[in-house]
Amino acid sequence: MQITLNTTELTVAESITVQQLLNAQDISEVGLAIAINNTVLAKRLWPAHQLQQNDALQLFQLVTGG
Amino acid sequence: MLCIADKTFDSRLLLGSGKFSSSQLMQQAVAASGCQLVTLAMKRLNLALKHDDLLTPLRELGVQLLPNTSGAKNAKEAILAAQLARDALDTNWLKLEIHPDPRYLMPDPIETLIAAKELVKQGFIVLPYCSADPVLCKHLEDAGCAAVMPLGAAIGSNQGLQTRAMLEIIIQQAAIPVIIDAGIGAPSHAANALELGASAVLVNTAIACSNDPVTMANAFRLACMAGSAAYQAGIATPYQHAMATSPLTAFLDQL
Repeated sequence: MQITLNTTELTVAESITVQQLLNAQDISEVGLAIAINNTVLAKRLWPAHQLQQNDALQLFQLVTGG
Repeated sequence: MLCIADKTFDSRLLLGSGKFSSSQLMQQAVAASGCQLVTLAMKRLNLALKHDDLLTPLRELGVQLLPNTSGAKNAKEAILAAQLARDALDTNWLKLEIHPDPRYLMPDPIETLIAAKELVKQGFIVLPYCSADPVLCKHLEDAGCAAVMPLGAAIGSNQGLQTRAMLEIIIQQAAIPVIIDAGIGAPSHAANALELGASAVLVNTAIACSNDPVTMANAFRLACMAGSAAYQAGIATPYQHAMATSPLTAFLDQL
């Protein structure tokens, strides 16, 4: 199925969790936060949350700032 | 002692972590500043880049991390950024900032108040960056914000307390901490803010962009201590006329 990861379109397995996607993409979880279709998905839900066709994932990370 | 919400801090200096030439230099400056609250921002992840781990070294310094909503152009975006930051950092403390205009980065008062009300409802400890408007600051206080962060001048401008007269009214009226944010370009500006009775100052550019950020961080630490001590001791009243400090006139008259 198709999903969007920030601005990148990806084809992923039909049954994949957010956590599995992060692992597959080798994305560090330190300071990471995720919104799916403009709603924040809490970290504790990543292992169980199944992605759906056309989900738009936005990944954010803590950076320096004033 | 600085008290915000249910926490107390020995330092009245907050440090922004942006603009340092390296992460290591930023950490050294944080340590030299003696600050206990350090701001961070949220940014969309660049999947092509490997990112440094900022959090571990900052946490090892024992400082509390304060995420901001920089980049948000309205209340809706700020609320999403706040929720993301809460999940990323596991903190409900938030520096709320909404500045839609990239040239002057002036905070949007209407969107800031809307967002502050909603975020307080959602359990955030909200510290809003705002214009130096005494009426707005009272509205933000009434909305349940834990502090207000009025600007001294435009972000990164180093112009000092251009809004001094308004800051004095804000400080006089506030029942919550007033943290002067933005525009502080020199340690004397920070000392001056605390001499006026501000609870704290937030500094970033003036330290990060100096020739020697670590030494400058220490200079700000000392300035904040001086300003705070002076305010507590009571600043002398200025007079138009001279007030003799020695009885020299009477002595000379006898010759």
